[in-house]
Amino acid sequence: MDCKFIPSVCSYCGTGCGVLFEVIDGKIESTLPLKSHPVNQGKLCIKGWNLHEYINSYMRLNSPLIKEEGKFKKATWDEAITATAAGLGRVKEKYGPDAIGVLVSAKITNEENYLAQKFTRAAIGTNNVDHCARL
Amino acid sequence: MTIKRMAFVQELLKFMGLEGRLHLEWISSAEAQKYVEVVTRFTEKIREMGPNPLRAMTQEVR
Amino acid sequence: MDIINEARQLLVQEKVDIFLGYRELDGHLIPHGYTRDNLDELEGLCVSQNRYPLEKTATHLAKKDPDLKIGLVARDCNQRTLNVLYTWNQLDPEHIKTIGVNCCPSPFKDHGDCTYLAPKTTGEYKKEHGIDFNAAPDLLLDSMTNPERFSRWMYEFNKCLKCYGCRNICPVCFCRECSLEHEGLIEPGALPAEVPIFHLVRATHMAGRCIDCGLCEDACPAHIPLRLLYREANEIVSGIFDFQPGMGVEKSPFSIIGDKIEAELKPLDA
Repeated sequence: MDCKFIPSVCSYCGTGCGVLFEVIDGKIESTLPLKSHPVNQGKLCIKGWNLHEYINSYMRLNSPLIKEEGKFKKATWDEAITATAAGLGRVKEKYGPDAIGVLVSAKITNEENYLAQKFTRAAIGTNNVDHCARL
Repeated sequence: MTIKRMAFVQELLKFMGLEGRLHLEWISSAEAQKYVEVVTRFTEKIREMGPNPLRAMTQEVR
Repeated sequence: MDIINEARQLLVQEKVDIFLGYRELDGHLIPHGYTRDNLDELEGLCVSQNRYPLEKTATHLAKKDPDLKIGLVARDCNQRTLNVLYTWNQLDPEHIKTIGVNCCPSPFKDHGDCTYLAPKTTGEYKKEHGIDFNAAPDLLLDSMTNPERFSRWMYEFNKCLKCYGCRNICPVCFCRECSLEHEGLIEPGALPAEVPIFHLVRATHMAGRCIDCGLCEDACPAHIPLRLLYREANEIVSGIFDFQPGMGVEKSPFSIIGDKIEAELKPLDA
């Protein structure tokens, strides 16, 4: 039986509260606030208290899925990326680049957000990029 | 167990400021007269106390 | 303060299989489970000025492996928590070994104001952000009339965000199906919180159980004076039943059914 406590940062909103994961035998059992963290000082909101639920959820996606004839089929990353690129390319050709919009999120890193907007502006060629917080 | 819980909750409500609005009475189904008396007296007591401040507050919020 | 050697003795002599203490990581003092396989990690064992509910981790471990022997660092409040958990059959006293450490207030945690300690003092942080109930212990009690008390408490409870932090961090809260998560009582996702039902239900559950560790108030983002409320609940219990949680092996009066007691309810015309 092995018990470790791993400090981390909450992945939900942009505040970035410090959390402490209670890991027993390699599985995250519960979430505690990090008391010495300057941002949250030992307090968490209800989303932060339940981080361990979605990490261990059976509903998490394990592999890319492609919809064929109305049903989702498991695919490899290469197949999925090729299919997405082909689909976006089709829309861009038929309706123009402004028919595509991209939404970024507070749950992903700043670097990934930058990548997403670069992709939208340079690769697709449109200004339609916005953030989930503006919804 | 019921007496224990009721005694505790009555004191707790008193601490909160909602004193005297909870009462416990053991009445058998054969003691209909006693039931009528207790309910009437309690209703009168509550009527004298006035409306529950909690209701007023939740109505305001809505 | 030779906890490191004591802990090493306990592990090496197989009196415990895992020892829950604290260590430092990147400037944070966080809990850690020391095992026999990593005895040299024990060099980093220290007592944190921040308090974490290690007893809750012990209950998780005990649930997975009931025969596991667990060691803990224990302040006075931790010891009281363990006593309460023993009486509610959540932990087996045969499997737990504790190493006693000094109590708060410590130089860092300056808002320790445990009722079981003497002398009672309130730290600076608490005086600024919370209610200093050592200065005026009946601030919310007899000095006020019913409407004043009511509006003061409603004001405090209305700050609640329903984060469930008080319940999640409480070391003596262990119910698998918490009544605060029952859809009939507390609608999931509805804000503002169901004031005062949420807090009064929680206070009722803390009667005869709360040992005044103060973790709930530390974890409340809205600075609600929970400690005062639960302290009052336990004072009521000790007044009616003459029972103080955590002081021994006595079971809480709310866990025994069918015993005769002499509590009397107020008559109708009082």
